[in-house]
Amino acid sequence: MPKHRVIYFNARGRAEPSRLVLSAAGVEFEDVRFTNEEWQTEKATGKYEFGQLPCLETDGVIIGQSRAIARYLANEYGLAGKTNLDKAKADMITDACEDLLQGMAKIHYEKDEAKKKELQTEYGKKIATILAALEKILTANNGGDGFFVGDGVSVADLSFFAQMEYNLSSAADLLDSYPS
Amino acid sequence: MSQGISPLADALVSCSNARRDTSRSAMPTYKLTYFDLRGRAEPSRLLFAVAGVEYEDVRIQREQWPNEKASGKYPFGQMPVLEVDGQVIAQSIAIARYLANEFGLAGKTNLEKAKVDMIVDAIGDVSKGLGEMWFANDEAKKAEAKEKCLTKTIPTTFTGLEKILMTNNGGDGFFVGDSLTMADLIFLAHTDYHVDQLKEENTMAAFPKLTALRERILAQPSVKQWVEARPKTKI
Repeated sequence: MPKHRVIYFNARGRAEPSRLVLSAAGVEFEDVRFTNEEWQTEKATGKYEFGQLPCLETDGVIIGQSRAIARYLANEYGLAGKTNLDKAKADMITDACEDLLQGMAKIHYEKDEAKKKELQTEYGKKIATILAALEKILTANNGGDGFFVGDGVSVADLSFFAQMEYNLSSAADLLDSYPS
Repeated sequence: MSQGISPLADALVSCSNARRDTSRSAMPTYKLTYFDLRGRAEPSRLLFAVAGVEYEDVRIQREQWPNEKASGKYPFGQMPVLEVDGQVIAQSIAIARYLANEFGLAGKTNLEKAKVDMIVDAIGDVSKGLGEMWFANDEAKKAEAKEKCLTKTIPTTFTGLEKILMTNNGGDGFFVGDSLTMADLIFLAHTDYHVDQLKEENTMAAFPKLTALRERILAQPSVKQWVEARPKTKI
């Protein structure tokens, strides 16, 4: 019986970084994916404090909030960065990826075409700022030929990867100006 | 360094200088830069206050910000940033968590830290909702955001938070573990907005344990001292 249950919908979304952390660590987990109907039933049990997914269930304890989960798993399995400063850098990177995710979501849910275009322009600027910053942070670490933080893969790299899957699917050449 | 009166005097002077230098380098130098607001820097300022650690509390005026931003020293072109021994960390919660970890205010085990993080991120969802409500650029969006905040985001999140609080020592202590953590301090900073800006809406009325927690945090001597001494700003 795996120790961890990662609970979400049948999508990559906000659960993917955590799934990637567990996979990178070689740790088996129960990859629970609810349909919308199943979730309505589950949610009604009151077992999920914020009534949201993803959640992690570990030894009977439920943790919500996607980044809290990913960070907890990363800390458990040595994928968080070694020093507090490295961990802070990793957090800074995953928070920047969250900004990218939120920007995308805002556009997705905007019904008004004119507003949508405005948001898309704003988002374009945001992506440029964030990717430039990430490239700088990366190249500051071993010339950019390794990973974001320290000497190995961390939750920062995995969160970046998960987020880029979305951004690259709408702009395949997005990373062309960011060689590292 | 002056050429001493005697070699012995020189030796004594450089010995005591070396001792001073060592004690100075044991503690990193911290510089926190933000606007002259509580805002996204206040969690970190509260952490410094509770830990009793000195830092440079740099406040940039709005007019100065465009020049500052253009200097390129801000990784994402945003504030706050924390400079520690020459390294720059951005993203307000990453900064707060770093300081909390350094000062032992993050939670004791990985699981406790995860609970702290969960609480902090949930509060962040409410902050985001309040931001959408206050900074929307048209009246229709503003009304929509306010409706969502007051009927959904705040009640759902605060209910969750009160539930989590109650599972810890019946809700009469702090959010996680036996002592104050970053979760409590961020809750304090956030609820300032409920108490000041949402007085009419009385958003905390349905949450007695959370209300009592806020008072309990404010009563901590180090917190009380900082709250009284800090620059008074609207937000």
